[in-house]
Amino acid sequence: MSIWEKLTKIDRRYIYLMLLLVVMIPIIVPFKLHPKPMPPVENLFNAIDAIPPEKALVISVDYSPDTEPELHPMTYALLRHAFARHKKVGILCISLLGLGLAQDALSTVTNEFNSVATTHADSIINGRDYVFWGWQTMPLVPILGMGENIAKVFPVDYYGNKTDTLPMMKKIKNYNNVALLVSIAGGESPFWYITYAQTSFGVRIGVGSTAVMATDFYPYINSGQVTGMMSGMKGGAEYEELVLTKLGIKGRRKATEAMSSQTAAHLWIMLTIVLGNIGYFALRRRKK
Amino acid sequence: MTHNPWIWVSAILTLGIFSFLYKENPFYRVCEHLFIGISNGYSITFVWHRVLMPTLINPVAHGEKLWLILIAIIGAFYFMYFIPQISWLVRIPIAIVLGYGAGASIPRGIDAAIVQQLRATIITRSTFLSVYNGIWSIVILFGVIATISYFFFSRERKGILKPLSYTGIVFIMIGFGASFGYTVMARVSLLIGRLTFLLRDWLGIIH
Repeated sequence: MSIWEKLTKIDRRYIYLMLLLVVMIPIIVPFKLHPKPMPPVENLFNAIDAIPPEKALVISVDYSPDTEPELHPMTYALLRHAFARHKKVGILCISLLGLGLAQDALSTVTNEFNSVATTHADSIINGRDYVFWGWQTMPLVPILGMGENIAKVFPVDYYGNKTDTLPMMKKIKNYNNVALLVSIAGGESPFWYITYAQTSFGVRIGVGSTAVMATDFYPYINSGQVTGMMSGMKGGAEYEELVLTKLGIKGRRKATEAMSSQTAAHLWIMLTIVLGNIGYFALRRRKK
Repeated sequence: MTHNPWIWVSAILTLGIFSFLYKENPFYRVCEHLFIGISNGYSITFVWHRVLMPTLINPVAHGEKLWLILIAIIGAFYFMYFIPQISWLVRIPIAIVLGYGAGASIPRGIDAAIVQQLRATIITRSTFLSVYNGIWSIVILFGVIATISYFFFSRERKGILKPLSYTGIVFIMIGFGASFGYTVMARVSLLIGRLTFLLRDWLGIIH
């Protein structure tokens, strides 16, 4: 058997084993990378920066633990940005399993801010600075209902408080008071927000998507239906970079930490594709 | 290495799922079935406590929103599927959901996915205020026309249709390539997530 034939017949388990090593070694011994933010990520960052005080940022945590490594860093980064700029934040989930993740991100980030806060005004307080509305049956009930009355869709928040009694909700009634809605999703929920919330109520939509779904959303950036987007772990790392460089917030940056492994894995996969193709074409030429 | 038993459980299950990469085995099967069972159990209890109790059972039990009983009965017709003699009743909730869903979705869907997308391909004088934008708008317009022409099967591919549809294939292939690249990134991200968990939370090798 020639080397070219061997190349095309490598047992896939050896490729998996190599991939495991290629991903694992940079996790243990990472190399420094500074992701360069791309325009869709910068646009999202700028849109959040520009939210006026009387309006809110809404984050829809629409993912489950299976896509946590890709999407959870985005939620952290968005919350850090919003809280650092004292933007009001409303959080909801239309994925059932997103509740625990949203709660985890909220408690981690609020603890980060509150541990260094010196005054009551500096602190991040539930009901004043953010409201965690909880979960509602997807997609039509919450998405269309919030256009009329958010408190009606979520009569009580995640913690059991009556939503309409919370101070932040005195001014945040419906989509008219929402400057930007970011759907961080492992599936197609950003489409629902574009189709129902934006088409009917004109809400600006941001997207945090898994890399698999990213190409589906790019046409919506071009048409202006999506204001900004983070795609996959790389998008999360770019946003983390903006939060670090523009706001100086040094919380744990999980997506950036993973970029060394991402880069190594991509190089390895590119190498296997090139070698496989060389083997294929060399064999074909020999057969001719 | 951690002493937390739940992290041990999680790590062992992760390794069980990874064992499929070597070959199908009973350890993997156990983990897979456990996952499906727990997911279903979680969803059912969650819907009971977070949906049915606060939005249906509690208000009705307090004599409020009694009209919800009618809605609940119609919803319960879904279960009539299991009784052959009256299984036709299942058509009622399906018809309501389909009717409402179609009515709510079709006009908005057409607007969001077709009208707005078509509008984005229209080139006007203002498109060329930025040369960069202008060039890419032409590429997008040409790509849309070429790709659509590839899916035009009502006429034989000859004349202008032939080179246009072949160019459409190039655009489609570039799209597939981009999707593949992103898919690699997605799958590697998940592997990184699990390996980080094993190395940090379970083994304590990294911090």
